[in-house]
Amino acid sequence: METAKEKAHTRGESRMNRFWKHVKNQKLLYAMSLPFVAWVFVFNYLPVWGWTMAFQNFRPGLSFLEQEWVGLEHFITLFQDERFYMVLRNTLAMSFLGLLFGFTIPIIFAVLLNEVRHSMFKRITQTVTYLPHFVSWVVVAGIVTKMLSTDGGIINDLLMGLGIIDSPYQFMAQEKWFWGIVTISDIWKEMGWNAIIFLAAIAGLDPQLYEAAKVDGAGRFRQIWHITLPGIRPTILVVLILNIGHLIQIGFEKQMLLSNPLVVDYAEVLDLYALNYGIGLGQFSYGTAIGIFNSVVSIILLFLANGIFKRYSNQSVM
Amino acid sequence: MAIGKKLVKFVFIIGLLFVIAGCQGSDEEASNDTGTEQETTDNSAENTETDGLEPVTFTLFDSDTNPDWVDDMDTPVGRKIKEDTGVTLEPEFDIEGGQTKIPLMVASGEYPDLIVSKGAGQLVDAGALIDLLPLIEEHAPNLQKMLGDGINRLKWSEDDPSIYVLTTAAIDNQAMSPGYGAWVQHAVMKELGYPELRTLDDLKNIISEYKELHPQIDGQETIGLTMNTDSWRIQASFLNSGFMMTGAGDDGEYYIDPETYEATLHYRRPIEKEVFQWYNDLNNEGLLDPETFVQKSDQYDAKLASGRVLATIGPDYMMNSGQEALREAGLTDRMYGVYPVTLSEDYVNHSYQSIGLQAGWGISISKDCEDPVRAIKFLDYLASEETQIMMNWGIEGEHYDIVDGKRVIPQDEWDKRNSDKDYLKNTGIGYNFARFAPRYGDGVLDSTGQTYTVNTREIAIQNQTEIEKEVLAAYDMELWKDAYPTADDFPVKPWGAAYNISIPANSDLQVLNQRALDITKKMVPEAVLTTPANFDSVWDEFMSSLESINIEKAEEEYTNLIKEKVELWSN
Repeated sequence: METAKEKAHTRGESRMNRFWKHVKNQKLLYAMSLPFVAWVFVFNYLPVWGWTMAFQNFRPGLSFLEQEWVGLEHFITLFQDERFYMVLRNTLAMSFLGLLFGFTIPIIFAVLLNEVRHSMFKRITQTVTYLPHFVSWVVVAGIVTKMLSTDGGIINDLLMGLGIIDSPYQFMAQEKWFWGIVTISDIWKEMGWNAIIFLAAIAGLDPQLYEAAKVDGAGRFRQIWHITLPGIRPTILVVLILNIGHLIQIGFEKQMLLSNPLVVDYAEVLDLYALNYGIGLGQFSYGTAIGIFNSVVSIILLFLANGIFKRYSNQSVM
Repeated sequence: MAIGKKLVKFVFIIGLLFVIAGCQGSDEEASNDTGTEQETTDNSAENTETDGLEPVTFTLFDSDTNPDWVDDMDTPVGRKIKEDTGVTLEPEFDIEGGQTKIPLMVASGEYPDLIVSKGAGQLVDAGALIDLLPLIEEHAPNLQKMLGDGINRLKWSEDDPSIYVLTTAAIDNQAMSPGYGAWVQHAVMKELGYPELRTLDDLKNIISEYKELHPQIDGQETIGLTMNTDSWRIQASFLNSGFMMTGAGDDGEYYIDPETYEATLHYRRPIEKEVFQWYNDLNNEGLLDPETFVQKSDQYDAKLASGRVLATIGPDYMMNSGQEALREAGLTDRMYGVYPVTLSEDYVNHSYQSIGLQAGWGISISKDCEDPVRAIKFLDYLASEETQIMMNWGIEGEHYDIVDGKRVIPQDEWDKRNSDKDYLKNTGIGYNFARFAPRYGDGVLDSTGQTYTVNTREIAIQNQTEIEKEVLAAYDMELWKDAYPTADDFPVKPWGAAYNISIPANSDLQVLNQRALDITKKMVPEAVLTTPANFDSVWDEFMSSLESINIEKAEEEYTNLIKEKVELWSN
């Protein structure tokens, strides 16, 4: 009995010892990571405390103990609001479109750009395509509305010049076009930027593989299919999973700036709704409830995506 | 040994960090100490009647944009203000009326020293503002003089008679140019032989006749009528036309019955349907710009500046940029005159109805302001006679001269004022500083019997273009306002302007208003753009959507707010 206890004791002790030894050995590494752990804690974990607001009738200026607690009231109001479902539909529709095109097009672009032999042309194209990333949405929205205008807009002029339409078409006034316009302008803005990571991954592939493929008689497309794409598959997966995590948090700048009263039923997104009905009206609790909903959905999506990929490809980001 | 050395180094570094941190701390303390000392010496200095001119910087948040602001107040007027008061303002100007920034301030609990808001409900609720009443009574003779009895209107509520917001509106303003109306190009009126323009039907006939004569202007298609509907502007121009065309003053989204103070969401007045039906007809006949509800503000300005928009409806301030551009381009015949058009001759335009002292929107001192006395003295300085004159006329000898005891602006200075877009920016004159405190409106006289503002009738006439004079003469007028009923024709609104009344934050009314506005912004344009046969059904749908969000409850609550205000102010 005694010996067993002693053994257990020494085992525990030795485990502790080993842990401290470990820490001691790698103390520099620990010290170096400390600021970043603190940073994550302060900026990503501490704010979660603010979630308590969603269960109160929060009034600024009062201390935490003076707030009135209301339980799930704000969530009930939220889920009973028709507008919320409309907004949720718009958010998901635009994010899925964004994911579908905004994710595949940069890959295709990166692969095609990689095949370009002329290095000067390649570099210029790359720079030109990622520059729009730095243009603010305010400016992009201005350009898009101007281009789609019925009053001398270049798209309408072009379509009329080609004889495809007889009179200018009101792109911006059609509800059904709004999601498309947002997606296309987003692709224009972000395609080059998002392609950078794929270009980098492609650059890291072993040239010997291509040479071997050539010897075996593989053409350009065969090389892309059998070497380039499998080579960057891990990168693609990681980026995809991270994107899925952000699916519901698509921001609101583009929707707010491109929308107008006629298309608002297809333009309002969750973040904008939270802004208008939460912070905008001083309903901080309601806004927080929307925020919590957002975060929870994001986390679920992220785990789902990661789980699926783990299962089929044995790769994961977590 | 090696470890020992490292340890020594480590301890040394940590020690050094502590020393640095410690020094900073004591520095701060030291500066704080001197700060309070300065304050006390300040106060004693003020007591002995010598101005405490210790330089001080006030941070400020303003809900409106100001493209004319120059950093560090580096303009002739700005430098003079700084010299007189020792105050430097560090303002932040917002582009959307503080709708997002103010709630964020409240959420974070950190405020600038001074806040110019459009409705301070949330700020007051959060205890962010200090009571100005004792400060005004003790330190601000000029403000007292300017506000007079109107100061009662600034009191917050029955329960809390503090003054949190000092109005920044013009006092007793009798604007030389009308605030709202239908704007029509001079060329149109002239060519059609100066037809009568009193009702919306007249307006439609004029547009349609001229457009037929000139399907194109300068090689581009003629636009009959367009409006600026970008973001909040849709309310100020298009949606407000509902009541403006049917004989009511501006009370925001509500119509207030002058007898019973009963509030109605103004679209629910049956008569307004006819106004929006008129737009529908206009659209059906191809006279309404198809881009009216899609364009951004800059597109609208560009269209006006191109000279091919025959008419527009809206407030005067939306015309500035277009008119200015036309004048600069020499297209004076394409500039606009403003007419008090209404639905029928049974109604008159209420632009000039006085709302009394405008309360609700204005400047506040936050609880984070370290020296509120200094701040109120600064505001009082802005309200003094000399400063008011300087903000309107500029610096004597530089921007105006005194001839025979009268202020006169030399012709070359006038030319600069009229054509130099950067005039206000270069001089600091005008709304640049006037926006931070109450100010005397057009037509108010100073101690020497001259107007505070430069907008006198004579000067307004002097600044007209040739064609403008011609058109006005054809209608037997000197100024556009001559066609408008004057302030004397209407009683003063006992509730002020309803949109100025702060709605309690976090209330149902606030949510209902937001919902109603969301519905309105979507449905009214839809009704205008639909086929005439469909108009009734879209309008009915609009009405029933409003009922479905329980708009009656909002109207009831709003009525109570109005009644409370009337009671509070009449005491």
